[in-house]
Amino acid sequence: MKNAAARATRPAAGAKKTRERRAGKIHPVVIYPFRQPVDDSDLAPLYELIARLDTEKSQYARPITVMDRKTHYANETQKRFQEFRKGTVARHSDILDAWCVDTCQMWYSGLGMAFDKGSPDDVYWLIPGDFNYGTAVGRDVLGRLHDLPEICMELDQDVCIGEIETDHNNSKQLIDTYGTFALLYNWFPAEARELRQYTERPRSEFFAIRHGFLGEVLRQRWFAYEQTVVMLLQAVSSSRRISRFFVGNVSDLPEGSDSLASAMQQVERTERVLKTIWRERHQPNPGWTEEYRVLEAQSEQVRRTALIVLENLLG
Amino acid sequence: MNRSTYGPNKTLRAMNFICNAPQAKSVRLVGDFNEWNPAAHPMKHMPDGAWLITVELKHGHHRYAFLVDGTLTLDPHAQGITRNDQGERVSLVPVS
Repeated sequence: MKNAAARATRPAAGAKKTRERRAGKIHPVVIYPFRQPVDDSDLAPLYELIARLDTEKSQYARPITVMDRKTHYANETQKRFQEFRKGTVARHSDILDAWCVDTCQMWYSGLGMAFDKGSPDDVYWLIPGDFNYGTAVGRDVLGRLHDLPEICMELDQDVCIGEIETDHNNSKQLIDTYGTFALLYNWFPAEARELRQYTERPRSEFFAIRHGFLGEVLRQRWFAYEQTVVMLLQAVSSSRRISRFFVGNVSDLPEGSDSLASAMQQVERTERVLKTIWRERHQPNPGWTEEYRVLEAQSEQVRRTALIVLENLLG
Repeated sequence: MNRSTYGPNKTLRAMNFICNAPQAKSVRLVGDFNEWNPAAHPMKHMPDGAWLITVELKHGHHRYAFLVDGTLTLDPHAQGITRNDQGERVSLVPVS
């Protein structure tokens, strides 16, 4: 064992290369909340950060804010919204107005726009806007988020996932424990084991991703939801370099996202995505339908059990 | 860890590394900062059974692990996880 450890810890040839910071830029991409918050207490500190990033032009590309057109039209008569959009959001970032069916399409549009402007050494930093950044812990999280792209840059990682801490009864925790991972173990057991070595939050909305890997996932079929899971599955399957970093215990702004119905929908969506990916990967194999039927039957049991657990704990 | 700025801080910063391995005979700190050299940073066995060392590190993100009786061991309290150049899982510490 000692020999193995000593051998394992010897630096590889060219190890220093990975420690050298590359010359690329970091592209911040903010996903504007779908529902405009009742006040600016959470968005203001986020855009204070964005304003700072916008001044550090040697390190950061011009930030991008993705705003759903539905959000825009729902608030176009609100003076406070218009002032914040024009005076703060547009001042410190380029606004990408897009009609989006869901948050994942906002990611796709925003990361895609940044990618089009980027270059091979660049890193893209996704920042969800619908978190309680105005709280003390939220501000602490804002002070840590920059670590995600910096880890990609400094340690030459393909993706760095930001992990938030929640208590065991938090709906996100429950969904991931009883839904996401249970389903992952059914459809992709080897990848699930690997993923869990990194994170308990495979659906995290906080991450940074390197140009080459982002190009790979953008060009693949873009699944309708649970993009982080899809991206991490791809990362594990293609032996990409993954890191995880703890960003704090920030939580979503209240939008009913912790309701039982929402939790059920998220589990069902995850199952649908995993089934689709499995079929796409295995359909070239002869006899794949037989294996698929077995996994599908197991998956149904997993999903039903997850929904019962969620109903007991959240209902 | 208190992190008050978004930009880099060029100064060295003293960082405490603590490994809770009361039964171990030796614990060493290895990482990018000492080229993963097991001899560079032997840790001190404290009265409470934990092992401690203070190391000055530059601004940035550093990969590290504990060698507990020769076995590469993750820090359960680390802020992050990544892999070293050999593909082994190791811990991650940010220094600002």
